[in-house]
Amino acid sequence: MATDKELSDFLKSVEKRAWKRAVYAVRDDDAALDIVQDTMIRLSEKYADRPPAELPLLFQRILSNATMDWFRRQKVRNQVVRNFSEFETAGSDGDFDILETLEALGGPLQSESVADSVSRAQILQMIDAEVARLPARQREAFLLRYWEELDVAETAASMGCSEGSVKTHCSRAVHALAKALKAKGITT
Amino acid sequence: MNQNDSTYRLAARDAIESRFARSIAACLTESAQTVAPDVAERLRFAREKALETARLARDGAAVHGLGVTSSGAAIAGFRHSRWWLRFASVLPLVALVGGLVLIQDWQNRTQISVAAEVDEALLGDDLPINAYRDPGFSEFLKAPPSE
Repeated sequence: MATDKELSDFLKSVEKRAWKRAVYAVRDDDAALDIVQDTMIRLSEKYADRPPAELPLLFQRILSNATMDWFRRQKVRNQVVRNFSEFETAGSDGDFDILETLEALGGPLQSESVADSVSRAQILQMIDAEVARLPARQREAFLLRYWEELDVAETAASMGCSEGSVKTHCSRAVHALAKALKAKGITT
Repeated sequence: MNQNDSTYRLAARDAIESRFARSIAACLTESAQTVAPDVAERLRFAREKALETARLARDGAAVHGLGVTSSGAAIAGFRHSRWWLRFASVLPLVALVGGLVLIQDWQNRTQISVAAEVDEALLGDDLPINAYRDPGFSEFLKAPPSE
């Protein structure tokens, strides 16, 4: 059973990322805060007796469900369906080669020719915006897999899809981000 | 040979994708650290509310467990607790009815005892009992005692 301190530390460690994820999904800061609060309370109410190791996956599942509940309440099911359908049609990057774009991998984030004129804060903002532009399922998979550091199986369980779908979503998200950032003159 | 090349390329591609994704995630983490003060405050409030909820949930579970123990059902097992609770709620009613029956019985015995004493006094007296049926004797008993 997680103690008060363990639960508090866990919530503290995920709350900002959770809020950002909710903002990406609903594009409304206040609604995202409500969703995060709802998620925290649901977790505490129903799963406070679970060991600390189980909390991250439970939290991510509850956050996804709370976000879906928000969409249902807002009666924007059509928007969700549209976002989901984007996943089906997106991803054909054609002749774009990620290896070419990411050849210089390994160093810290930097800009290309406009390195001196673009502040790091602006770069972070651009990355933020590009992540927000990803199709919902791709973004969800990308964030769970690489930001929340869930493994493929956990991500699949959280999203309610197969592990193969998670890999596909993640790969497409990475390609889309690399392409978009390359177009803005940013490489990693 | 070609298959080995293909496998190698796929592995390299996965590794590059993974490194790129993690560097983006690191940027997102850095970006997420700088939330507006009002957002940070609302997140703190939400966290405290959640912790309070967790405490209440744990206390509720503890009280429920204690109730089972106090009813004596801990030995019998959790699923018998409802039977014990029903028994405990009926017990005062049974005690009340039993008490009323005992009081009634005690009153009957008292009345019988008093009647027996009166009978005993009447029958044991020197005065014959038929004297009480005589109107003149009744008048004598009602009249104030004279000097």
